[in-house]
Amino acid sequence: MTSTVDTARPAGNPPPAARPGARRRARRPLSETALPYLMLAPAVVLMLALLAWPALQVLAISFRKLDLGELVRGELKWIGFDNYTAILTDPEFWVIGLRTVLFTAVVVLTTLLLGLGIAVLMRHLSGWVRIVLQVCLVLAWATPIIATTTVFQWIFDQQYGILNKTLVLIGFDSFKGYSWFTSGTSTLAVVGLLVVWQAVPFIAFTLYAGLVSTPKDLYEAAAIDGASGWAAFRAVSWPSVRPLLTLVTFLSVLWDFKVFTQVWAIRQGGPDGESTTLPVLLYLRGIAASHFGVSAAVAVLMLVVLVAVTWRYMRLLVRSPETEL
Amino acid sequence: MLHKSPAQRVALAVFGLVLAGFFLFPTYWMFTTALKTPAQILSPAYDLIPTTATLKNFVNAITKPDFTTFLTNSLIVTLGAVACALAAGLLAAVPLARLRFRGRKGFILLVLIAQLAPLEALFVPMYLIMRDADLLNSLWGLLLVYVAFTLPFTVWTLRGFVKGIPIELEEAAMVDGCGRWGVFTRVTLPLLGPGLVATSVFSFITAWNEFLYALVFMREKDKQTLPVWLSSFKTAFGTDWGGIMAASVIYAIPALIFFLLVQRKLVSGSTAGAVKG
Repeated sequence: MTSTVDTARPAGNPPPAARPGARRRARRPLSETALPYLMLAPAVVLMLALLAWPALQVLAISFRKLDLGELVRGELKWIGFDNYTAILTDPEFWVIGLRTVLFTAVVVLTTLLLGLGIAVLMRHLSGWVRIVLQVCLVLAWATPIIATTTVFQWIFDQQYGILNKTLVLIGFDSFKGYSWFTSGTSTLAVVGLLVVWQAVPFIAFTLYAGLVSTPKDLYEAAAIDGASGWAAFRAVSWPSVRPLLTLVTFLSVLWDFKVFTQVWAIRQGGPDGESTTLPVLLYLRGIAASHFGVSAAVAVLMLVVLVAVTWRYMRLLVRSPETEL
Repeated sequence: MLHKSPAQRVALAVFGLVLAGFFLFPTYWMFTTALKTPAQILSPAYDLIPTTATLKNFVNAITKPDFTTFLTNSLIVTLGAVACALAAGLLAAVPLARLRFRGRKGFILLVLIAQLAPLEALFVPMYLIMRDADLLNSLWGLLLVYVAFTLPFTVWTLRGFVKGIPIELEEAAMVDGCGRWGVFTRVTLPLLGPGLVATSVFSFITAWNEFLYALVFMREKDKQTLPVWLSSFKTAFGTDWGGIMAASVIYAIPALIFFLLVQRKLVSGSTAGAVKG
């Protein structure tokens, strides 16, 4: 980005001194200095009151014993790290944590590969086929989560589901009355498919926008130089898609790690808790069982995992020249 | 690479159509199931393509008591949240992209970290805050919650879009005698169209889909939203698949209309603004 600055700077400014901001700031009237803060105020107030403050409270609650009784009586019982010890020594937590990480990894990877594949494909499809594909993607994207979840339950229905009917029709008789929800793995596979199905359109369109913004001459130049297929993709498309791919990977990790509605709606984490993920555990311990302290500790641990995974990228985002002026 | 033989072209088209079918199928199945009678739904016959259709499921769903109340509530909360998030987000995005001030990076970091929090985790403190502010059972309360949830993403994405507008255009308008406000309304805002659209899709989806907070915060029936209404079709006695599919279609229609309205700008905009310097 160019070294553009504040529109308040008069035209024909002398080259910036060692600290260009200092002199200008001194000359600026108070209203100018206050302007950015005034403009940020609504967003800051909302985010502090309804995100930062509740988040700090969750952190505080994770060091308290807070069940329904304490909540009703408004009692403060500090118990230090007891909630954390209870969770971290519970083997179930580690199983669920590992399951959540694996689920997230598989879903994110599948979504990205499929999304990237479709984005590249869209570039090569001719007119109407591309439009058909795009319309179908938009339809999938726009269908609300709860509606989609219900349809998936219906498709995978044990007795009347179209999937089992189709499998029987083409000769797999063992699928007559087959239940897809008897094991945690197959339940999570269905949930994963559901999440991928909903997430791919956004990824595909974002990456497609990146690909389309690559000038066509570059491909022609690459073709003249003898690069074709894979080589041309690596040399021409990849540089323009890479930053977008990093961004959607970051967003996908955030979103898929926190998936709750779909897992909960399909089988409430069952059978026997085998498809329970961390967000479901959070809900079960907290809102369902009223152990809010334990639940808050789970939330804090989830946040720690997410920060650990995304820290490098966030630092990159904050420090990159792109956030400079 | 851009020149392909006819065989390759046909293969690509077939592949594209198969993928299109994969993404269309659940939506297609939702529509066709909604058009079936209970007997057809529970018949063992293979019925991928329906032969007859009934609108009874739709009529039943729409004439359920309070349907219009749920629909109105959902529309108010969602569109309100989208408008508020865009307004507050845009106000914050402009100085973040254009002005130099102390605390800028700190704010950007806050915006990024705010997206990490699992929303289910904030439930209890949020409940207490809303209770103390007397905003439980109020559409305003729910609207505020949704604005807060979508604001970090909105600010972040819009900041990118504002930066994408060449500053020379704004300077040129200033030279032509526009004031700050004039520059904003005549230059910046019109150019931000695709950015605003792409961002509004995100807040729309979040607010339109949200279930947990709506269920618990809105105790009175006349304040509840469509996701809660949809869950009322499942009872202990089993699921009325035709009814719930018709309800799902009805629930999906406003979202589809919204997407169709913004679709063209969406495909070109998406989050391109989020990373462009």
